[in-house]
Amino acid sequence: MKPTLGDKIFYVINYIALSIISLTCLFPIVHMAALSLSDSHSIMSGHVSIWPKGWTIEAYITLFQGTQILGAFKNSVIITVVGVGLSMLFTIMAAYPLSRKYFYARKTFTLLMVFTMLFGAGMIPSYLVVKSLGLVDTYFAIWFPGLISTYNMLVMKSFFENLPEELEEAARIDGCGEIRLLINIILPLSVPMIATLSLFYGVGYWNMFMNVLIYINETDKYNLSVLVQQMVQSQSVMQELNEVMSEDIQNITPESVKAAGVMVMVIPMLLVYPFLQKYFVKGVLIGSIKG
Amino acid sequence: MNEEMIRKNSIKLKRKKRFKQNIPLLLIFFPVIIFYLTFKYAPIMGNIIAFKEYNFFDGIFGSPWVGFHNFELLFTQTQTLNIIRNTLMLSVLQLVFGFPAPIILAILLNEVRKMFFKRTIQTIVYLPHFFNWVIIGGIVLTLFSMESGFINHWIERWTGEPYPFLYKPLSWIGVFISSGIWKEMGFGTIIYLAVIGMINPSLYESASIDGANKFRQIWHITLPQMRPTIIILFILATGNVMEVGFDQVYMLQNPVVSNVAEVISTYIYRVGLLGAQFSLSAAMGLFEALVGLVLVLSANWIARKFDQGLF
Repeated sequence: MKPTLGDKIFYVINYIALSIISLTCLFPIVHMAALSLSDSHSIMSGHVSIWPKGWTIEAYITLFQGTQILGAFKNSVIITVVGVGLSMLFTIMAAYPLSRKYFYARKTFTLLMVFTMLFGAGMIPSYLVVKSLGLVDTYFAIWFPGLISTYNMLVMKSFFENLPEELEEAARIDGCGEIRLLINIILPLSVPMIATLSLFYGVGYWNMFMNVLIYINETDKYNLSVLVQQMVQSQSVMQELNEVMSEDIQNITPESVKAAGVMVMVIPMLLVYPFLQKYFVKGVLIGSIKG
Repeated sequence: MNEEMIRKNSIKLKRKKRFKQNIPLLLIFFPVIIFYLTFKYAPIMGNIIAFKEYNFFDGIFGSPWVGFHNFELLFTQTQTLNIIRNTLMLSVLQLVFGFPAPIILAILLNEVRKMFFKRTIQTIVYLPHFFNWVIIGGIVLTLFSMESGFINHWIERWTGEPYPFLYKPLSWIGVFISSGIWKEMGFGTIIYLAVIGMINPSLYESASIDGANKFRQIWHITLPQMRPTIIILFILATGNVMEVGFDQVYMLQNPVVSNVAEVISTYIYRVGLLGAQFSLSAAMGLFEALVGLVLVLSANWIARKFDQGLF
């Protein structure tokens, strides 16, 4: 069929609309990058849009010298790496038994877990529990309360359930026990699923904000999110910075240091993004088929 | 007689086998039970402090009961009523404007014939989903800043003076809602695109032979085929109506607009955690969770009437 005139107009408008939408997604990030690399004069006079004016990397120098951003970066990495390991371990430990048909009370347990998705406990009671366990100001307060995402667990469980039963039977005839079946047969088959869910958890831990804000009081234990948030929102951090700034780097504004702080969070995400995106699309679809 | 015994024996054997298989499973599962009890169910039980006058010295169980006193306080103070109103208002607006956005975007994306263009656009619009609210809050505060913000520089050039977007209730709500759409619109298209991809192409062919233009094809084929998915996702979204994300509000709010920008979660953080009014804010949290539960269950009940229920 030849497209009609109306269809052609539709296509043109569609391409234009989509181009505008994607530019709106890109512009703010490019703008922040440009700000972080521009000098104070260009920023204050409003000349910076998507290309740095008056190139300077002093914002980054100030940021790395005057704040604890390197330490916060390290903390973010620790929180993420250990967190993903713990979460995956517990997710598998929950999903595997629940996926076995002969497991006692699997229906009841599943139901009790799903209930926690519908009815959350609330910030204050959760805080009191974490506090009474003495976890405040340790990263265990970050890892433990969200150890298992029930949603991810359900995805993992249905993945285990759909593995071919013949494999399991063959392994049992060869005298394979429950634990060896899991470690030697099931887990190697689940590597793509484990990778996908690890990414889900990983992005969650890397972007973690509220729990760190609530449970961590010692500033040298902050992760990137909380440190950058305090930089962006509170004046006091910027005043401290001004004192640190030496005389010769007075030609940058707090704006560009803030932008540099945001970029420090954005850049690692951009680096892994091409890899992330593919897995996330797959993961979202697996989850939705189940739902 | 003999057969009976064999049958009984085999049942016994099966039970024994099942029990043997269950021991290692229970061992693996035990820490998981501990986790759910400690970090999910204990806090749910901890909500009883909403009915008590909690103090650190007596602890959760030792503190004196006060009945519904905390709830009475909540529902008689104009400040807290205001906060509940804000929470509902912001999340309903989010639902009204945010929910259709990915549907429209997915339909537009689906009509793109050049695969390279389509993939590029998808890659770009998914991106904001991976940034947390600290990044997006930083960007928003920078873009809309009065003195040096990019947007106000343009407005100043046109009208002569900057506009305080983040300090006027109406424009603050606008910025709040649109930043949320900006973050999640692209990522939300994934499921819809998959659904559209499963529509039988012959439907479109026969429609276009019958003379249906693009708009009619979208209206009469694409949208009806998407309906079950849209309903399910709508149920999930309604269930979250009581939750306006803490991170988003916390990053974007400022004291000037607190009249519309203070919501339940930020109130609990500020008054409960920072202000140590544990019982009062726990009551607020419990109210929020209960209304949320009722909303999910009733949305699901309605959806069941259309054979689309989740559970």
